[in-house]
Amino acid sequence: MLLEASAIVKAFGAFRAVDGADLTVREGEIVGLIGPNGAGKSTFFNCLAGDAQPTAGTIRFQGQDVTNATPEAHARLGMARTFQVPVTFEDMTVLQNVMVGAFLRHPHRTGARRKALEVLAFTGLSGMADSPARSLGTPGRKRLEIARALATEPRLLLLDEALAGLTPAEVRLAIELVRRIKNSGITIVIVEHIMEVILSLAERAIVFHQGKVIAAGPPRQVVDDPAVVAAYLGHHMKRVRM
Amino acid sequence: MRHWPLVLIGFLAIAAWPLAVQDVFLQRIGALVLLAAISASAWNLLGGYAGQVSVGHAVYFGTGAYASLVVYTQLGWPPIAGVPLGMLVSMAIAALVGTPTFRLRGHYFSMATIAAAELFRILAANWPLLGAAVGLMGPPVPRTVWDLSFISPLPYHYLFLAVLTVLLAATWQMQRSRMGYYLAAIRGGDRAARSLGVPVLRYKVYALLLSAAFTSVAGSLYAVMVGFIDPDSALGILISVKMVIVAALGGAGSLFGPLVGAIILIPLEETTNAMFGGGGTGITFIVYGAIILLIARFQPGGVAALLESLTNRGSRRAP
Repeated sequence: MLLEASAIVKAFGAFRAVDGADLTVREGEIVGLIGPNGAGKSTFFNCLAGDAQPTAGTIRFQGQDVTNATPEAHARLGMARTFQVPVTFEDMTVLQNVMVGAFLRHPHRTGARRKALEVLAFTGLSGMADSPARSLGTPGRKRLEIARALATEPRLLLLDEALAGLTPAEVRLAIELVRRIKNSGITIVIVEHIMEVILSLAERAIVFHQGKVIAAGPPRQVVDDPAVVAAYLGHHMKRVRM
Repeated sequence: MRHWPLVLIGFLAIAAWPLAVQDVFLQRIGALVLLAAISASAWNLLGGYAGQVSVGHAVYFGTGAYASLVVYTQLGWPPIAGVPLGMLVSMAIAALVGTPTFRLRGHYFSMATIAAAELFRILAANWPLLGAAVGLMGPPVPRTVWDLSFISPLPYHYLFLAVLTVLLAATWQMQRSRMGYYLAAIRGGDRAARSLGVPVLRYKVYALLLSAAFTSVAGSLYAVMVGFIDPDSALGILISVKMVIVAALGGAGSLFGPLVGAIILIPLEETTNAMFGGGGTGITFIVYGAIILLIARFQPGGVAALLESLTNRGSRRAP
């Protein structure tokens, strides 16, 4: 088992954003984390990445306890992530952004540069290598974040809504990139609220609702689960009433 | 780097300055420009490259200045011998002050550095070993050449130029290495940097130690040249503010930004001081304030960014 999170609780005061969630990820699979807005996906995701410390529960990565490890320790151990709102290093070029990630395993400039160029080619950003990161639009930034994360040579990649805000054509390109990443041997956990993305990418889907996992299994099966339908429809009806 | 010819011309022009102008006032301005460039370049390591805007670097400047004159008053050594002592004490203070202040972000970090610096100024003003409020004097007449007490600004000019060259060469190396990239990432955002495995706190401390050590050298050199310091001239908040302004004016986070800033600001300051007389602190504050406003409003990247955008005009726009 590559990643094992059990009985994770994350409380903010009396409110439990994540309330006893479990997740196991096997080497080489793509796991989708879905659920309506506010279901606690992102909080759970931040706990997995070491960005937030769970109030209770344990997380093991490659058999090692990482429950309270820092984000930089997660990166060193082979877990990389992207952010829901891309945080690119604006003053740097695209290549330099990716080199920051590459320096983790390649302490010398030439090695880091070689690795970064390789990743840029893989992610289709080679043409932009010397453009300033601030000149990129949203799809470019999302792609750059993925490239930067890949440059740390992770075994597990956590994608936080990497496809949100993209046009259908851009989504297709992004799906193709995620598939290629998986084929290169990297395990992926992807948070999404677009069902179509999960249906076409994930081998297994975990559905979150009010901080709990309400369904898990093959995506096709999960979307037909009455509890999942209720969670999504309930969400819509609330919006209609407002 | 594509600007090498320009750098070489600049270096030669600075080296030739005191020989080209015979006027002592102008020669002295040259030395002061280099001194300001040293301290602002040292500040730039933390404030520019790592984006941690310290407004308390007077602590390290003052430590260097006091170290120089304390080794003279207590041990009778030439003031320049205080350089390593100042560097060591500055790094110790940096380690002590840095770790807790780095828990703060943005403006809160800057305010904490001001508070820490003021604490040290008040400490020095009440400590007899450091001459308390009166301050310390260097050797009134040079005993040997090692006292580095000269009437002509010329020797100082070349001493400062040598130190600045070493500092900028070290900075250039740093900028190209993993540390340079990590500091730039920290400036871009702690959270993203950490997610890529950057040990943010450790690198901030590295940058601070390096920055404090070189700022201390600048303070020692100041004490050696001027031969007299008191709590205000070595540890006053104006010292800290000046480093920030010189660096920001030229371009914080760029290699030559602080030097460019010093070349613009110091002659302006010295001539207004000469014109309006006295310590000129009143008019100096007004000039500093105006510069802060202008930089913030029109060119946050400083003069360096302005020059960059002028030279790159037309070629910048990538699809």
